[in-house]
Amino acid sequence: MLTYILRRLLLWVPSVLLVMLAVYALAFYGAGDPIKLIFLRAPGDVAYDPVKIEAIRDQAGLNRPFLVQFASYVGNLVQGNFGNSLTSGRSVWAMIKAAAPVSFTLGVTAILLTAVIAIPLGMVAGLKQNSRTDYVILGTAVALWAIPAYVAGPLLMVLLLMVLPGEAVPYGWGGLFSVKLILPLIVLSFQPIALILRQTRAAVIEVMTEDYVRTARAKGVPELVVALRHILRPVLTPVVTQLGLIMITIVNGAMFVELVFGLPGLGRLTVSALTNSDFPVILAITFIGSFLVMASNLLVDLLYPLLDPRASDVKGGR
Amino acid sequence: MKDGMQPGLTRRGALRLGLGSVVAVAAFGPGAHIAMAQEGQVLKAISPAFSQDWSPLRGGGVPYRWNSVWNGSAMYFNDKGEIQPYVLTEWTPSADFTSWTLKVNPAAKFADGSAITAADVKGSWELSAMPATKNQRVDQVLAGVAGYAAVKDGTATDISGIVVTDDATLTVTLSGPDPIFFQRLANHIAPIVKVSVARGADGNEVPDWFLGANGATSGPFMMEAADLDTGLITWVPNPNFFGEAPKLARIELTSVEDNVTATQMLKSGEFQAHTELVTSTMIQDLGADFAAGPTIPTSQHFWFNTTRAPMDDPKVREALILAIDRDGLIKASFPDGPHQKTDTVMNSVPGEEDAAFVPYPHDPAKAKELLAASSYGGPEKLPKLMFVGISSPANEAAAQYIAEQWRQNLGITAVDMKPQQDQYAGPDQNAVQIFRDDVGTRVPDGASYLAGSIASTSGNAQGKMGGYKNDKVDALIAEALTKPADDPARVALAQEAQRLFRDDFCFIPWYKQTMSRWANANVAGMEKNLDWQIVAPWAITIA
Amino acid sequence: MEQPTNLWRDAWKRLRRNKLALAGLAVVAFLVFVAAFGPWLAPHDYLSQNLDLRSVPPQAAHWFGTDDLGRDVLSRLIYGARTAFLVAVAVTLIAVGIGVILGAIAGFYGGTFDRFVMWFTDMTMSVPQLLLVVVINASLKQPISTWMETQYLASLNPIWRNTMLADFVLVFGSMALISWPPYARLVRAQVLSIRSRPYVTAARALGLTNRIILARYVLPNAMGPLVVAVSAGLGTAMVLESAFSFLGVGVTPPTPSWGNMISDGLRVWTNSPHLLVAPAAVLAVVTVAFNFLGDGLNDALNPKGQK
Repeated sequence: MLTYILRRLLLWVPSVLLVMLAVYALAFYGAGDPIKLIFLRAPGDVAYDPVKIEAIRDQAGLNRPFLVQFASYVGNLVQGNFGNSLTSGRSVWAMIKAAAPVSFTLGVTAILLTAVIAIPLGMVAGLKQNSRTDYVILGTAVALWAIPAYVAGPLLMVLLLMVLPGEAVPYGWGGLFSVKLILPLIVLSFQPIALILRQTRAAVIEVMTEDYVRTARAKGVPELVVALRHILRPVLTPVVTQLGLIMITIVNGAMFVELVFGLPGLGRLTVSALTNSDFPVILAITFIGSFLVMASNLLVDLLYPLLDPRASDVKGGR
Repeated sequence: MKDGMQPGLTRRGALRLGLGSVVAVAAFGPGAHIAMAQEGQVLKAISPAFSQDWSPLRGGGVPYRWNSVWNGSAMYFNDKGEIQPYVLTEWTPSADFTSWTLKVNPAAKFADGSAITAADVKGSWELSAMPATKNQRVDQVLAGVAGYAAVKDGTATDISGIVVTDDATLTVTLSGPDPIFFQRLANHIAPIVKVSVARGADGNEVPDWFLGANGATSGPFMMEAADLDTGLITWVPNPNFFGEAPKLARIELTSVEDNVTATQMLKSGEFQAHTELVTSTMIQDLGADFAAGPTIPTSQHFWFNTTRAPMDDPKVREALILAIDRDGLIKASFPDGPHQKTDTVMNSVPGEEDAAFVPYPHDPAKAKELLAASSYGGPEKLPKLMFVGISSPANEAAAQYIAEQWRQNLGITAVDMKPQQDQYAGPDQNAVQIFRDDVGTRVPDGASYLAGSIASTSGNAQGKMGGYKNDKVDALIAEALTKPADDPARVALAQEAQRLFRDDFCFIPWYKQTMSRWANANVAGMEKNLDWQIVAPWAITIA
Repeated sequence: MEQPTNLWRDAWKRLRRNKLALAGLAVVAFLVFVAAFGPWLAPHDYLSQNLDLRSVPPQAAHWFGTDDLGRDVLSRLIYGARTAFLVAVAVTLIAVGIGVILGAIAGFYGGTFDRFVMWFTDMTMSVPQLLLVVVINASLKQPISTWMETQYLASLNPIWRNTMLADFVLVFGSMALISWPPYARLVRAQVLSIRSRPYVTAARALGLTNRIILARYVLPNAMGPLVVAVSAGLGTAMVLESAFSFLGVGVTPPTPSWGNMISDGLRVWTNSPHLLVAPAAVLAVVTVAFNFLGDGLNDALNPKGQK
């Protein structure tokens, strides 16, 4: 098991380097010059002086060849140094360290919320296929799926303000146990809930037709016992497989939710780094994003044999 | 995560909810009506951007617009455009206007109580000029000073033309005569900071010297804390301020990026002011008072890059301008104000009114003829027209209106618009022909206005207009700049230069800017000047 | 075990009994119709502005009102349907194509190829999607549109002036190239689980070749979850397009896209709600329709779903 995890980690290193090289190259050659941006984006009467800008670029080491810059970046990274932001001069690591817990709290809470709500509801819908209950649950899930987070966010927020006049706008970060977190959490969970609910429902419907379930039901085993004993485990299989997709949905959704609700997390950091072509920050976020998704995939692969014993024979082959 | 970063939080601590109790949306209600307990008045303001760099020496960005709150400057303009002493109390030119003697206010102090000396003034200016400081506008202050160029290029750390005579006196030698040099000092582009704290041994800025309470600034307020991770900046009164005592107990600036949310927060009274709110419905939402303010010497136009096809053909340029109904343009972008339509480059300076200036007419028929007579022969062979700087809803409305006018009046369909000006720095910098940007000046002076926008030495002419150069225009502006401020020839020469520029057909005039208060009606004293600064931050009160 | 030939006919029979799925199918069919015949259906020119009728609410002459430049919202929605439909189909088709092929082969054969595919999948999945699309858009879009402009000036063929083409190739191409991994993982997992089932073991014992087993038994049985994923994927692609437009990297204005209209509407919706509600509702209805259709297909295609 430990060697398996180590091997996965080793496989991840070249891939993350490749991804970072690609992102760095695209940003370096196409996305604009961060120093020029400082002067160009400012309104009006700005002293845009090419000589001065070259002097700044020299001092920031941005005039070195592409590969030299990338290599020195990776060299620093190996020593645990993410460099400094080009636009604010702050240590990227400090920025990440402040932003990551916000996103992490939000993401983990959203996943838990999703699991707690979506799996039971999905099972109920699946067990009562084509009943009124099924339609209501499925219809709600599908409707949630169809509303983008950046529409739902501001709508809910401003509607709340209209319904509860005088209330402070739930904007900004107040920690995990703050009422301010409720709205972003709900908005962020909309899409994952819909996703998992539908997967669960589809899986339940499929499992219900399996012989062992039919047998159990024919033997008169109570529905609930059947559901818990025979259905839950196979149903979790495709759901767990989707964990990576859920992670991505949440990571993407977090970008909008953090923007809309003013949460100082990684998503907001990403957007500002992108608009400023702040390479060190973009790279650090790529690195962390890549690590997170890799870790969640690893987790899926470790959980997979536990959930579906039939698939365990392939583990050695991977 | 830090707690208590917003005053509402501790109050609401009682309402903290467990992880599972997401259902408790209803719990928003009880939190609503807990009375505000405050000692003294707190101004709660909104910043539209998540600014991470709060150095007062950047000369731009959101932080710049709050500079006068916590930094003293050499002098400043009041809301009527009259110059006022501040850190400097006297400025005397030599007879030929090439050298100026400046006197430091003997009462001037930093927030830590230490006196502001002439060396601090010189050092602050040098620090702003260093390339690593990345000050966006320091050229406007110091470009004429002897020895400035060497510091700007990174080859020196000392501006040789500025000499400290004693603790309270310094002389500035210019590389040429400038009768209005003193006006160029009256802004917050390079404010006066405590050099022993802000400047390192290598002459560069000490990282993060400005954060938190450190006493190295000299404005009516001093920074109390800056939480860059959550975007909350707070200022408290500076006990050692050498001017009028500030009336507010505290200023809090919170980042709210979404304009609709910000509008709601202002409407509800939760916040009272905004740094720069630009929405098409601002007046509808928050009232005319909120947006009111003087027009300042800044104007927005669409600039043509004359070196790029098809703008290399003057007939095409003229056709593109004449095809546009500019009354419609302002109606499409600012139907309710606060900005006003303009026909000219220079605005809101003495000499703006020029009876001999002929505004570009709206003449679609002539535009069509001109396009047909151009070297491109008509719309089909015209290369695609690209706009950059289309970054706000108003910009977008204006650009789309222009594109539609061209489509209807000239049959041009290939028009592209990009929000970011960085496209200018990117791979297509050789293709963009139309640059939306504002030009202006920090001094009420037409000649300086044109020197910074249409003279061939300006960034605007070099960058956005692709190296526009009209020798006659240059000569007229250069001559105007040598005339004393009260000499009528100064204005007349500038007007003549502007008329010549008009006949080169290089821009679509759009609007002259109103410097809004961006504050609710119950806040007094938020008036701003042509430097985009709150004129008298010490006088702000909340009714 | 079902014969594949009967499968689809039976599926259609079952689908017809599912009212929600039929409603979804109707909406999707209507979308295709509008996308195809939009220019003839639109009551107004989607570009023409009327500054005297700015942001008016729905009324007889403008069923869905006008936007802040006085353009007819309905006409823009109709043209936006083309954008939305093309986006959804193109992105999903490419993504599913890549995903199914890689996932099925990897899951069935295992071994080195499986390891490589999974490594590649993990790598692709670990790229923050929005980041990649934004970076690709910022760096490649302009060179491509410059190149197309050069082609136009050389040939004067209007096809090179079609900005959608450039958007398409790039933004949605890159979107597709990063959205295949979930399909690959899904298919692979299904195949893994199915290939050890008794009927596959039996088929193998009968001496059938791998390819036949894969095509005849394994893939059809893996279809159910895949169809759900695809139907959701179509809706997701549309939502993604609007998300990219919201971030300013989607379809270039003034080409109407629902995403652009939503992001414009979000700026003014407290004053002119119809500018947000109209495009958001249309997007929501269409996404929901794709999902109902997908669920119906899932129930119908599941060979053992008959009661």
